[in-house]
Amino acid sequence: MPQSLTLRPALARLPLQRSGLRIEALPEGTVLHLLAPVGSGPAGLTAELGASGLSLRPVSPGQWFAVGDAVLSNTARAALAARLKPAAEVVDQSHGRVRIALSGPMATRVLAKGTAADLSLTAFPIHHATTTLIGHIAAHLTRIAEDRFELIVLRGFAESQWEDLDRMSAEFG
Amino acid sequence: MTPYRLPQGGLIDRSTPVSFSFDGQALQGFAGDSLASALLANGRLLVGRSFKYHRPRGILTAGAAEPNALVTIGRDGRTEPNTRATMQELYEGLEAKSQNRWPSLDVDIGSLNSLLSPFLGAGFYYKTFMWPAAFWEKVYEPFIRRAAGLGRATHEADPDAYEKSWAHCDLLVIGAGAAGLAAALGAGRAGARVILADEHAQPGGGLLSETAGIGGKSAPAFAADLLAELAALENVTILPRTTVFGWYDGNVFGAVERVQKHLAHPDAHRPVERLWRIVAKQALLATGAEERPLVFGGNDIPGVMMAGAMRCYLNRYGVAPGRQVAIFTINDSGYALARDLETAGVSQVTIIDSRPEGGIDYAGAARIVRGGVVRDAHGGKALTSITIAAGGKTERLRVDALAMSGGFSPIIHLACHRGGKPHWSDEKSAFMAPSGLQGLSLIGSAAGIDGIAACLEDGAAKGAALAETFGFKAEKPAFGLTAGEIAPMPARPLWTIPGIRGKAFVDYQNDVHRKDLGLAVREGYGHVELAKRYTTTGMATDQGKLSNVNAIALLAEARGVSPAEVGTTTFRPFYTPVSFGALAGPSHGRHFQPVRKSPLHGWAEKHGAVFVETGLWYRSAWFPRDGETDWRESVARETKNVRINAGLCDVSMLGKIEITGKDAAEFLNRVYCNAFLKLPVGKARYGLMLREDGFIYDDGTTSRLAQDRYFMTTTTAYASGVMNHLEFCAQALWPDLDVRLASVTDQWSQMAIAGPKARKILETIVDADLSNAAFPFLAAAEVSLFNGQVQGRLFRISFSGELAYELAVPAGYGEAVADAIMEAGRDHGIQPYGVEALAVLRIEKGHVTHNEINGTVTPGDLGFARMVPAAKPDFIGKRMLERAGLNDPQRHQLVGIRPLDPAAIFRTGSHILEKDAAAALENDQGYVTSSCHSPHLGSTIGLALVRRGAERHGEEVLVWNGLRGEFTPGRLCSPVFYDPQNEKLLA
Repeated sequence: MPQSLTLRPALARLPLQRSGLRIEALPEGTVLHLLAPVGSGPAGLTAELGASGLSLRPVSPGQWFAVGDAVLSNTARAALAARLKPAAEVVDQSHGRVRIALSGPMATRVLAKGTAADLSLTAFPIHHATTTLIGHIAAHLTRIAEDRFELIVLRGFAESQWEDLDRMSAEFG
Repeated sequence: MTPYRLPQGGLIDRSTPVSFSFDGQALQGFAGDSLASALLANGRLLVGRSFKYHRPRGILTAGAAEPNALVTIGRDGRTEPNTRATMQELYEGLEAKSQNRWPSLDVDIGSLNSLLSPFLGAGFYYKTFMWPAAFWEKVYEPFIRRAAGLGRATHEADPDAYEKSWAHCDLLVIGAGAAGLAAALGAGRAGARVILADEHAQPGGGLLSETAGIGGKSAPAFAADLLAELAALENVTILPRTTVFGWYDGNVFGAVERVQKHLAHPDAHRPVERLWRIVAKQALLATGAEERPLVFGGNDIPGVMMAGAMRCYLNRYGVAPGRQVAIFTINDSGYALARDLETAGVSQVTIIDSRPEGGIDYAGAARIVRGGVVRDAHGGKALTSITIAAGGKTERLRVDALAMSGGFSPIIHLACHRGGKPHWSDEKSAFMAPSGLQGLSLIGSAAGIDGIAACLEDGAAKGAALAETFGFKAEKPAFGLTAGEIAPMPARPLWTIPGIRGKAFVDYQNDVHRKDLGLAVREGYGHVELAKRYTTTGMATDQGKLSNVNAIALLAEARGVSPAEVGTTTFRPFYTPVSFGALAGPSHGRHFQPVRKSPLHGWAEKHGAVFVETGLWYRSAWFPRDGETDWRESVARETKNVRINAGLCDVSMLGKIEITGKDAAEFLNRVYCNAFLKLPVGKARYGLMLREDGFIYDDGTTSRLAQDRYFMTTTTAYASGVMNHLEFCAQALWPDLDVRLASVTDQWSQMAIAGPKARKILETIVDADLSNAAFPFLAAAEVSLFNGQVQGRLFRISFSGELAYELAVPAGYGEAVADAIMEAGRDHGIQPYGVEALAVLRIEKGHVTHNEINGTVTPGDLGFARMVPAAKPDFIGKRMLERAGLNDPQRHQLVGIRPLDPAAIFRTGSHILEKDAAAALENDQGYVTSSCHSPHLGSTIGLALVRRGAERHGEEVLVWNGLRGEFTPGRLCSPVFYDPQNEKLLA
């Protein structure tokens, strides 16, 4: 029996540094899928999640991702899930979703090669999120700051998505 | 004489010479030249051969409508046929070749067709090559295609990159001439998000060829200033070299940007072309107007050119068309050309004006023949003279260049792409855009407005007005006075010229002349859509940009009606040809589709897996070992090892859905046809999901992990389909149920550990008691592994028929856990096995997959009738499952099948016949759905759907493969070939 199990990273890639753009795989910390009744807002969840170091990303009516760079232990995750009930059910997606950040003034130019979403600041303000195709791969896109975006993709597609982003950003050298 | 470069003038950079070649001849132009202007500057009149008659052809236009000057650019994988020389920028080292000629452009054997032209009119091929019918595909068509046509595509791979991009704006302005620039400025200055797209390398449109002054500047300088201001506005994007080719629903426009088509050595990190999808709140079509040719004899002889094009080559590129120039016009545009020719030093200019009183304000030195027409042009590979008819007399005039202007047609294609029909304007003698368009308006010449000042005014007003509608405060830009313009006002059209001797072409690219259209009407093809197909006018790469209106007018004359009554053919995207490269974008070769990798992909690679693409997944198919000569050998070994020892198979690709909510049990009970309401916590159950029509949709196991939490697995193929189905059920069918769904396929690395030694191996890893009593068949639980290091989920389920488990661990731990299981199982003989062995194991056990669940089977067909409780009040498919047809005893039912001779084989897809029945479909009894070589039985085995199959076990039948002509005697049997008492399974 192994002394300790080795985690295989979903995306063992060094950041891509382009002119006006940086693409990096974010730490495989925590991604929780919160499922609340349709129509409920995130107000009741924010404080608990903030205390656990997690930020909310809207997914769909009554659904959010709570993400953070740190790994929550099984115990902490179970405790958090218990505290969030009945406002929301928690499904752990920390291993199933991979986060990639694009930052810099060229981020929108690169993302526009993949998504039909209007990424202007007025149409897609900070904290706004959507589920969209990036090329052929479905991803969850959030604007973290004016020129910083977070992509959440299925683990199985993470390498393919990374290769696409590599190609899409190649012109920025 | 031939065209030549003027000693000064034009917007070219004479300090930067550019070398290029045409048909192997080294030539030189300047930076800023188009290939067409450079060819003309080098005196090349003859640039191509026509499609059908192989007639010598020269450059006719200076833009996108060019029908003649189609050349092949580049070499090897970068070969690009049918490139319009008028749109191709010159670059150092450009290689261009003429097309559709043999052995050379000058001496073309195909031109003999011209001698046969009296017999080659419209419809010739249809009438002549009818018999024998079999010859058409094998002889006639290949021959005709070879003899006629355009350039040839290369078979080599294109080495360049292409990409796609989206863009969003308040206002898309299509065309950067006077109206477009003014509109972009009107909206841009106000702060609106504007995209200004222009198909040329240098935006500016007609202003770049104009000698008039605007606001005290030359027209090109004025355009440059406007562009500089626009470029400085952050909210304005200028897309040069970008052709907007289509208008689609949602006010989405398709456009292709030629990013690097003008470069000798494209940067490998950038695309050569980029396909844009532009979403615009509003669009303004500022595409200008196309000058129409006049239909006189020999109007295709090299040296005959559109008047506007001649003016463009003269003023923009500094190329004079010849030394003795005639201008045949029906409007005042010819006078502007005459004036500019004189200014450039071309002194022998004759204007033939069809109007008796045209050009009365013209004060130049050109000779004017009023009320005259050019009846015929003469010459072979170059124009030598023309015949002028005026006042009842004819005159032969020596000329080396002839300009023609038959009026102007607004370029309205995009405005018609969404179904609107253009309407004829007698006032403008042109088809105008449909009325009542939403999201798109026309400005400038495209809207039938004449003159630079009026176009600037129109564009500025509409651009500013639209900005106001977007919520910006806008002010209409003012541009100062325009001086020295001779604007062409609408004039009476001249469709037919009497007394023509030579061939008078209507459609240059398809070699359709005026008599062809008359013939079409006489033979009953007078409807514009029929005439197009009968004569081919308006087809091919230029889609009749120059010819359509003339063709419609001639059809109208032949039918004795107005052009309004004839109408136009249908405008569809693309406005100009778009390369397959641009349409495919990056999705080719390795990037044709994304790759989806299992968390155990690396583990499988370590063990030498051969992968098979299953949808987007790469699944390990088998794991060859040294000494094994083919895949069957590896699969047989893996299969046997599972039966004897144990194996580990990656099943992470199965769809996994977590279902929560207080009504989850009720929800599952409705989506599955079998009972789920009372499934206890800690248990898994096989479930059948039906479609509304009663046929099986998908199957899988669902486990109850907690009172209100379930873990569903689906087949790999239907994972997303089932998820969508469940969401539909939850959101649309039963919104009153509290049920929440999350796809967790990628969260879990799932592995099947199967074989008699599976328990022994897992016991060293799983912290829980795995004895048969504590963890029996169909047990399901969340378990800890490795003394609490990892939380996983363990299911005692078996696809192989062996004692088996499926273990799910968080994906990142998958490889480490699989490694540990292999290590723990080493002494027990564990081996990895792939989906091929998995398939053999399940066929031996009689388990079904989508080979059997093929959309035509009910639970009863597969022997699952007892799984569907009659007392269950409702579930999806219940009502339709009661249909008589779905309960017909004659239905196909699942059986097993074996060959009588164990050495014989049969294949999946083969049909089943009764033993002595003839091989005919009316005797068909069913078909083999799955087959394999069974190491357990030592022969081929199969599953089949056979009429009344369940009651025919033991019957001898004939397996018939009609495609291969194979007949294999076989015997129907139980579909369970292995361990029918489930002793292994329950061990």
